Amino acid sequence: MIKLKNGRAKAYIAMFLLPAVLVYLLFQIVPLVAAVYFSFMDWNGIGGSALTFVGVKNYINAFHDADFLLSLQNMLKMVFFSVLFHTPVALLLAVAINTRCKGYRAFKTLFFVPTVFPLTSVGLMWYFVFMPTGFFNALLKNMGLDNLAGPWLVNQSTAINTIIFVNIWAGIGYYMVILLAGLTTIPDELYEAASIDGATSVSKFFHITIPMLKSTISMCILMDIIGSVKVFDLVFAMTGGGPNGLTNLPTTLMYNEAFKYSHYGLGSAIGIIILVICLAATLGSNLIMSRKGDPQEG
Amino acid sequence: MKKSMEKKKRINARTIVMYVFLVVMGLIFAMPMAFTLLSSVKTKAQIFANPFSLPEVPKFSNYIVAWVEANMSRYFINSILQAGATVIILAVAATMAAYVLSRFDFKGSKFLLLFFTIGMMIPMHTVLVPISYLIGAMNLKNNIGALVLIYVAFSLPFSILVMTNFMKGINQSLEEAAVIDGASYFQIYRKVMIPLSVPAISTISIFNFLSAWNNILFPLLFINNKNLKPISLGLLNFNGERGSDYGPLMAAIVITVFLPLVLYLLFQEKVEGGLTAGAVKG
Repeated sequence: MIKLKNGRAKAYIAMFLLPAVLVYLLFQIVPLVAAVYFSFMDWNGIGGSALTFVGVKNYINAFHDADFLLSLQNMLKMVFFSVLFHTPVALLLAVAINTRCKGYRAFKTLFFVPTVFPLTSVGLMWYFVFMPTGFFNALLKNMGLDNLAGPWLVNQSTAINTIIFVNIWAGIGYYMVILLAGLTTIPDELYEAASIDGATSVSKFFHITIPMLKSTISMCILMDIIGSVKVFDLVFAMTGGGPNGLTNLPTTLMYNEAFKYSHYGLGSAIGIIILVICLAATLGSNLIMSRKGDPQEG
Repeated sequence: MKKSMEKKKRINARTIVMYVFLVVMGLIFAMPMAFTLLSSVKTKAQIFANPFSLPEVPKFSNYIVAWVEANMSRYFINSILQAGATVIILAVAATMAAYVLSRFDFKGSKFLLLFFTIGMMIPMHTVLVPISYLIGAMNLKNNIGALVLIYVAFSLPFSILVMTNFMKGINQSLEEAAVIDGASYFQIYRKVMIPLSVPAISTISIFNFLSAWNNILFPLLFINNKNLKPISLGLLNFNGERGSDYGPLMAAIVITVFLPLVLYLLFQEKVEGGLTAGAVKG
């Protein structure tokens, strides 16, 4: 490290930092501080119009708002099922691909490819699969399962589940690649020693693979929780939060409240709640991880 | 003899289970994409009559309708320009900041790194209202420069962290030699650090390009001029205006995913590494 003491050198070095600091301050830090401020205000979003301080009223309103509570419920469902499926399925796929079996590259490409697509196009793709006259219902009818066919994204009981399914589909490849990278760090000797001791592949999976990947798996779950809380594009493209707001997540509700109905105070409050949920998830999992200790350096 | 045969059998059974799993998952992944691709060259009637059938005569004109009439060509170019500008500005701003953060010790240098790290935690929705206010107050509606700078701001934390970590690992002997030769810090940055950092720069650039290409939230907020919209927003637009033009719509979806797909197929490892870099390095 080079120590900087004289003022001219400092000024010179400051020039290097200036572009990043300026853009970052203007479009991240200032808006972040302003978001907290706005969440305590009542206003209609029009520049120059009066802002009235209302304290925590926006937050109280949010938690008394049936739509917001429903969106929270949807979010919890989204988090729960994403965590339930993403990492476990991704881990199984990673283990299968890590055997370098015939065609493993093609499979890896196929599973990862949705990750590079814009989520709006993923959402639309699946929208056309699940629409009443879409591919999925045609498939069910071809298999003689006509009575299972339905308007998946319109039906109240299936709409949010369908979106959750698409979110799981779109994310598996991402976690698979992270876990694959983790798998390559496990020394082969461990598996060889276990084989000599007569361990089956199932027991090797539970006694070597999973413990050795503990920190990678925890990280995947943490990222998944935060990622699921922040889902927006998929819902926006597939249902826009409908039917009747039933598929709203806090993100889409926040967008609709602020920019459709001009409830800027409420929208800001929901934005802050989303931030708090993400921070809590990070802090919580850091606490759990540091308490349990870890054989592998993360 | 018997034992080895048993072992072989077991391995075979295991291999079969594995392939069944891979193939079933493969079908679940391939089907929506295949359906989209197939439908993009069919007429509406053909899509409804049999979603699985191959068209006798592929209707490639769907692509012309999407590309020309539905304005997808304009959106495509807009996205290339917007994402491209984002990538270039980020490469410059992030490497400059990372050079300082990885090489110089001054009061507040630790704080600065922390300051940038905070940004990784800020969800876009949290700052949406203030950003929209800012756009209104500064009269930046439909301003592409502002859109690009917002993309830059959101990708800066990740880019700076990846670049700083990478630069910390670069051997300092070359720089020391350059200092003895009387090079200025800027020359060291330009002539030593940048060339040695190309792998990390390409990693962040892929991430930043795809982030900008795939974003809809910010353009949704303040880009309503049809000639300025990026591609994923344009696609939604097309769906909103002509939602029952299934063939051309499917073609538009294919056009939207085309560039990310090609990038991925060409630079597979790099793209996988770039997209998961936040997870592995952050």
